[in-house]
Amino acid sequence: MTFAERMLKIDRRIIFLVIGLCTLLPLLYPVGLPIKISPEVRSVYDYMEALPERSVFLLSIDFDPASKPELHPQAIALLRHAFRKNLRVVSMTLWVSGTGMADQLLTQVAKEMGKENGKDYVFLGWSPGGTAVIINMGQDLYTAFPSDYGGRPTKGIPVLEGVHSLKDVNYAISLGAGNPGVEAWYVFGKDKYRFELGGGCTGVIAPGLYPLLRSGQINGLIGGLRGAAEYESLIGQKARAVAGMDAQSATHVAIIVLVIICNVFYFNLRRVPRQQGHGTS
Amino acid sequence: MIFLRRQLPLLITMITGLLFAGQYYVPHPASEQLLTSVTKWLQIIGGFALVLGVTSLFHQHAVKIRRKEAGWGYSLVLYAGMLGTIAVGFWANGKESVDGAMTAFGWVYSFMMVPLQGTMFAILAFFIASAAYRSFRARSREAAVLLIAAIIVMMGRVPLGEYLIPLSGDVSQWILNVLNASVRRAILIGVSLGAIALSFKIIFGVERSYLGGGKE
Repeated sequence: MTFAERMLKIDRRIIFLVIGLCTLLPLLYPVGLPIKISPEVRSVYDYMEALPERSVFLLSIDFDPASKPELHPQAIALLRHAFRKNLRVVSMTLWVSGTGMADQLLTQVAKEMGKENGKDYVFLGWSPGGTAVIINMGQDLYTAFPSDYGGRPTKGIPVLEGVHSLKDVNYAISLGAGNPGVEAWYVFGKDKYRFELGGGCTGVIAPGLYPLLRSGQINGLIGGLRGAAEYESLIGQKARAVAGMDAQSATHVAIIVLVIICNVFYFNLRRVPRQQGHGTS
Repeated sequence: MIFLRRQLPLLITMITGLLFAGQYYVPHPASEQLLTSVTKWLQIIGGFALVLGVTSLFHQHAVKIRRKEAGWGYSLVLYAGMLGTIAVGFWANGKESVDGAMTAFGWVYSFMMVPLQGTMFAILAFFIASAAYRSFRARSREAAVLLIAAIIVMMGRVPLGEYLIPLSGDVSQWILNVLNASVRRAILIGVSLGAIALSFKIIFGVERSYLGGGKE
């Protein structure tokens, strides 16, 4: 077996070790490279920034703990921004397995920003039906969610004053890790009930949402940990996402180097039989 | 019985399909009220579907345990996990915390489900790296184009990449916004046309597989 062949069949545990080190070391010794803000993230920020005080901001936390590393920092950054702008925050989830996590993160950020449940924000929880919940909210919010996550009747909650359906929402953002997520909010929500919609998603989903972005069906997109880091930079509260960018930088570069090395050995291996063929003829 | 098994479901499908396709274009209050009521039904059916799904899962794994099929031990773990979670969930009234104190249900969620799901997602990075090393090879011109595009986007999406190759950010943005968006849009249009065609086939009873098999 030649050296190139051996390298192409390298033990995968060595690759795991390289990726492990590339993740761990930058977290322990952060470099803090500057993060360039993309237009799609800036659009979300600018729209939030332009909303008047006490506008209704709906945050749909459509992910479960599996996507927490990427979408949790996005949710925290958005909530910090919304609370700082004194917006009325209405939050919910279309993913039943994300309910507890969504409640925890909303409570945590609200506490940090000194906001009061019921007056400044409300967590509606989860309701069965998937995309039907969006249509139902568009028809009548109180039919879709007769009570909030704590069991309190939604009718009469001060933060929902004047809010009857999705038509009364000034800005909605879905942080989606799949279906139902951003696309469902556009198809079943924005298209019919005419509210402005932004999106946040995992890095792997982001390329699929660019057609919605380009056509104006969503006004902005926060993609993956990078998007969260950009948003954290924009609001001036660098946190977990910015810290994670160094690790992501290192792992991306490591994977690129690995792919290049693998191709070098691959071409080297392909060249050898050809040269041998020429030599014998 | 054939009327109840075949014709009645087909009739309900056709009437509701046509009614709600038309409803979208009729903003009359009566039409809106109809939609409000029906979406509420959908939510209720969604709740039942959840019960149906759980029951089916239990049944499937019960058969596996009874027959002692390969990996039946995992089915036992599933049973223990599901029954345990349902029990503590009922006990805690579905609440993760009460007056700031974590319930048993909250403990299961925070210290079992969250880390388990996080771990599953996190190990993906390792497998992706290993798979990329083994299979991401420029075997053909098309594969080479894909490889170069992937490298540019990967570089352009991280600060280190943009620092090493300053142009990578803009090129990556262009690839995502122009090349990727146009191809995705074409796929979306194709899929949507297919969905419309399938909807018509279901509404008019041409496509009947959703009715299932069984004796007529």
